[in-house]
Amino acid sequence: MKSKKFYLMLVLVLFGALFLVACGGSDEPEETTTTSETTAEEAVVDTEATAEAEAAMAEEEAMNAEATADAEAAMAEEDAMNAEATADAEAAMAEEEAMAEATEEPMEEDAAATDGPTLTIWADETRAPVLETLAEQFKADYGITLVIEQVAERYEQFNIAAPAGEGPDIMLAAHDRLGGFVESGLVAPIDLGAKVDNFTPESVQGFTYNSELYGMPYATENLAFFYNKDLIDTPPATWDEMVEMGQALMESGDATQVIALTGTTYDIFPLNTGFGGYIFGQDADGNYDPTDVGLDSEGFIASGDFLQGLVADGLISNTTDWDTAHVLFEQGDVPFLMAGPWALNRLRDSGVNYGIATFPTGPNGEVSAPFLGVQGFVVNALSENVLLAQTFLTELVANDDIMQALFDADPRPSAWIPVLEKIDDPDIAAFGEVAPSASLMPSIPAMSAVWGTWDPAIALILQEQETAEAALTNAATQIRDAIAEQ
Amino acid sequence: MTTSVSEQAQTGRSTPTATITGMLLRLILLGVFDIGAVWLITGMFFDGYWPLAAMLAFITIAVNIIFLREGMYPLRWMAVGLSLLLLISVYPIFYTVYLAFTNYSDGYLLTKQQVIDQKEGDVYLPETGQAVAYTAYRSPDGNYVLWLQSENPDSPLNNVLAEPDVDIGESTIEVGDFDENGIPNSVAGYERIPTAGMFVALSELDKILFGGTEQGVQVRGINEASQVQQRFVYDPGTDTITDQQTGIAYAPVNGQFVDEEGNKLPQSGGFIITVGLDNFSRFFGSSAIGGPLFQVIVWNFAFAFLTVLMTFFLGLFTALLFNDLPGKKIIRSLLIVPYTIPSLVTILVWKGMLNEQIGVFSNVLQDIFGSSPPFFTNPTWTRFAILTINLWLGYPYFMLVCSGALQGIPQDIYSAADVDGANAFTKFRKLTLPLLLVAVGPLLVASFTFNFNNFNVIYLFNKGGPPIPGADTPVGYTDILISYVYKLAFGGARGSDYGLASAITIIIFVVVMVITLLQFRYTNMWEAGEDV
Amino acid sequence: MSSITSFRQSGKRQRQLSKLIRFIIAIFMILFALFPVLWTISASLDSTGSLATQKLIPDNASLDNYRTLLNSTTFPYKTWLWNSLRVATVVTILSVLITTMTAYAFSRFRFSGRESMLKSILLIQVFPATLAMVALFALVQQLGTFIPALGLNTLSGLSFIYLGGAMGINIWLMKGFFDTVPKEIDESAMVDGATHWQIFWRLLFPLVRPVVIVVGLLTFIGVYGDFILARILLKSTPKLTVMVGLYIFQDNQFSQNWGVFTAGAVMAAVPIVILYLLLQDYIAGGLTAGSVKG
Repeated sequence: MKSKKFYLMLVLVLFGALFLVACGGSDEPEETTTTSETTAEEAVVDTEATAEAEAAMAEEEAMNAEATADAEAAMAEEDAMNAEATADAEAAMAEEEAMAEATEEPMEEDAAATDGPTLTIWADETRAPVLETLAEQFKADYGITLVIEQVAERYEQFNIAAPAGEGPDIMLAAHDRLGGFVESGLVAPIDLGAKVDNFTPESVQGFTYNSELYGMPYATENLAFFYNKDLIDTPPATWDEMVEMGQALMESGDATQVIALTGTTYDIFPLNTGFGGYIFGQDADGNYDPTDVGLDSEGFIASGDFLQGLVADGLISNTTDWDTAHVLFEQGDVPFLMAGPWALNRLRDSGVNYGIATFPTGPNGEVSAPFLGVQGFVVNALSENVLLAQTFLTELVANDDIMQALFDADPRPSAWIPVLEKIDDPDIAAFGEVAPSASLMPSIPAMSAVWGTWDPAIALILQEQETAEAALTNAATQIRDAIAEQ
Repeated sequence: MTTSVSEQAQTGRSTPTATITGMLLRLILLGVFDIGAVWLITGMFFDGYWPLAAMLAFITIAVNIIFLREGMYPLRWMAVGLSLLLLISVYPIFYTVYLAFTNYSDGYLLTKQQVIDQKEGDVYLPETGQAVAYTAYRSPDGNYVLWLQSENPDSPLNNVLAEPDVDIGESTIEVGDFDENGIPNSVAGYERIPTAGMFVALSELDKILFGGTEQGVQVRGINEASQVQQRFVYDPGTDTITDQQTGIAYAPVNGQFVDEEGNKLPQSGGFIITVGLDNFSRFFGSSAIGGPLFQVIVWNFAFAFLTVLMTFFLGLFTALLFNDLPGKKIIRSLLIVPYTIPSLVTILVWKGMLNEQIGVFSNVLQDIFGSSPPFFTNPTWTRFAILTINLWLGYPYFMLVCSGALQGIPQDIYSAADVDGANAFTKFRKLTLPLLLVAVGPLLVASFTFNFNNFNVIYLFNKGGPPIPGADTPVGYTDILISYVYKLAFGGARGSDYGLASAITIIIFVVVMVITLLQFRYTNMWEAGEDV
Repeated sequence: MSSITSFRQSGKRQRQLSKLIRFIIAIFMILFALFPVLWTISASLDSTGSLATQKLIPDNASLDNYRTLLNSTTFPYKTWLWNSLRVATVVTILSVLITTMTAYAFSRFRFSGRESMLKSILLIQVFPATLAMVALFALVQQLGTFIPALGLNTLSGLSFIYLGGAMGINIWLMKGFFDTVPKEIDESAMVDGATHWQIFWRLLFPLVRPVVIVVGLLTFIGVYGDFILARILLKSTPKLTVMVGLYIFQDNQFSQNWGVFTAGAVMAAVPIVILYLLLQDYIAGGLTAGSVKG
């Protein structure tokens, strides 16, 4: 990297330092003969000058910045790397003054230096490379410059950056964050036109909030039930059957636990629903009702009792950990696991002989429903280019090629029906079979009160600190209080 | 001796014989600084960044006073440092205080003006309005015209050219040959934009109204334009937003535009308003203030205090102990390594090693003793684990600091003790430690306050767990105040509640400040600092 | 005569025993210090990557993660590292300079408001900065609209913010250290007609060099290792610092890429260890050797 700005700054620092030394030094021969009073005063000037030199640095930088920022814009185009690093430093020094004068014109953004509009997309480490490969093609074909930024904790940062006008134009997002964004006015509605029929209905439903579509989905994800084929011939039909199978394996010494739990909330939700539990009640249209909290419903408590019973009988661990559970399953120590498509890569690498099935049903035949998450793109409502961003998504991303590329990079069931239908990966297909029973993860803001309460409640149940009833009733009360406070 | 030095400065200050060049140089530099500062401050003020402008103005005035008044001589040494401190450390504190009095949270992230601007940009298609297909043409100097085609052949918007600011049908621009779809291949002075070029054009087209105000159309997509109307109009007189489509007026109430029945303005965020002491009363009124809070505070103090104590002594120990061993350089360099790897990784590595089911520690202990401690589910063991990890993370810091500080202790102070035949330990206790504490004392306080708010280690290790049964809010045995705040302010039904978080932050700030001041009084650190 | 020799011998033996004991302690300390580090390294060699189940020598050890980082264009690790080194260097030099001057004034001058200023500086550091991010973001964004070089997504803007960061504590550390230097030294120089500036630069600065270096090293490590501030202020890939760049790899809830993350962290730790090795003599060269000119 040859950021001239930096060398400028370094040069300035050196100047400052030299200035300090020079001043201190030059005084010495001249002033030693004079009285201490004048030298003291001379020091005043010295320090003042140096202090100024540095205080003024910010200012100087301001001037130079315009020059350097331009230089940088140009640099962004060049691909060559730090070849001229040292040469640059000197050049920068020599050019410093010339540049400061030469570029008093209003400074342009990096984007404006290249022609055509720029769309900034925030993505994560897995999806950014795919989008990156598309960027060149889009630039050549349509003149749009795509800037892909990999931003950690992008939802939190979006909250801060978007209102300041510093957000991306498009962000990759999971649908469950939608409620907060819409309520904050940070995402713009999007019209998929006729193409909406190419998306799976539940994925579109996921990005619909208050009957308005706010994002373009590209994939869905849900947990499925994994079993070790070396230990289990046919997957259990009910949770009780699962316990029997696991117990038998434990007795024969082939397993250390019946099932390894990966978490306390999202990850055990199928078990909760299998016993009839729910988080929020739903109205006729499938919208979640924050006033109907189901954490202390009979079914939820029954699932808690079931879990506590397993711990008490020594059949499962009283702790949960995502990594640990996967490792135990991969090593063949535990015959069952509830996991998502993101775990496929590591399971395959581990060589465990796994099978994917639908979840066992509850004691009364209830279907055990995992949460359904939808991944997609949302458009920043405060972007300068809302219409372009929307059009980009609907015209250029919503097609077979791009959707296929996104699927290949990150194998989760595609939300784009043509790609979904072409999937021949049996594992993904197995996840797809669980999907119809899955229920959309609530995207209403009240959900944020649930996550933090649900987790300790289950932890207390597993650690046998409280009965399921006490823990879950307390949790539900806390959630209702938090929602009522709104 | 103290007085004599300051007297020197005193006489220096009052002397009128400042060199002319020095004076001139100072004034010129100050002038340059002022010009820049004034430009920046006025610019910021007019851009609406007045809090920052005020802070910068304060700094500028202070700098001017310091450099113009001779009596301020010592402060000149600090001008840069203090300015930066004010701007980068103090300004955020003020900002947080301000946030504490607002409703800034999920749902209330925009300013009122932003909400109004956003809503005024919304459009709707009236019943009489039409949506048409269009083809765009661009002139070399960047102007655009559209060729409109309607599904309704009788529509005035069918097969017609639309220019900006010219009514439909009034356009005088010549149209060239038509292609098979009835679209002109060219328009005089304009070039037809191919589909691939439309994306670039779109970012400019969407801001233009084509065909005059009466029947004009706006571009709505890559090939669709329609006679949309502005949907929401803000009236500054009544301070309401009116929906042109329905006629309903929305007035601002509690950071939301709502109609008379209390319905929110559709598809709109709330805006930031000041809410007085609301956040504070919410905190003090909530069940969070009850039972577990006391428990949390006690553990918080114990955690911070023990961490400082252990890290300091282990750091000092390592700084002293290996001094004359062969390979001491290597030993010390290896001991510094924990400090060089981001704690984000190492905390999680520790977490993995202590894992109750498969961690290496547990496995080894299991093999030796037949059982291993529950590092994540038992409050005492979890606390023990967290303190151990924090010791590991923190001692290199004190090792570094103590090494440096011990270096500076003049050796001649020991000679008298040598004559007295004091042993090493006595020398250390009577001579080294007190001098060391003068230099390092404030760092102990700083380390205490840092660890008092050490969110990372608490949250990454076990999220503050194991949970306390029966608590009124989600809280765990190892939660400290800051992680407790995090759970309260970001795990509520409002999502991220920055306003509430700021309010609690301010409360914690005040509490810790008081404690720090008490620590000073108690340890007589001021006096020590004054006398030396 | 012989009794004296035997006394000497027993003293020698005692010293050797104490050395041995300390050597054993050192080994234990190093084990304590390095065991988690070895674990981290082993995680970085494992391509499947999970932090809980590392073996000391992973079954399928490979340098893939290192290779990924060093060759990938999507994750330009070398650029990140270079960015970090530059930011940390510039900030360290400037910060040490400013801090030392400020601390000198606090130590050597008496003026009204001195004590309350010192107190305030420390109290400011007490502020739980978890939430200050929003404010700092606004600060940099607003500054950036006027002075683009100090704006968001610039390394100079980030450096600017770091400058104010740890200053308070460092001022205290330096000041405490200046305090331990006897004022007679200044005084005699003052009588000889030296200016404050000369005293500071020629006399005291060399005397406090160990602490200057410690402060510098602490600042360097602090800036170099920070991701909390940097991830808010930096967004575009080629501008990231190494910690922000690495932070991306552990952000996915279900597929944290620990292997790459730890590999990057291990590599990033190397420059600091080297730096410490180089500077060690100044910091802890001879605590008993009496190298300090008192």
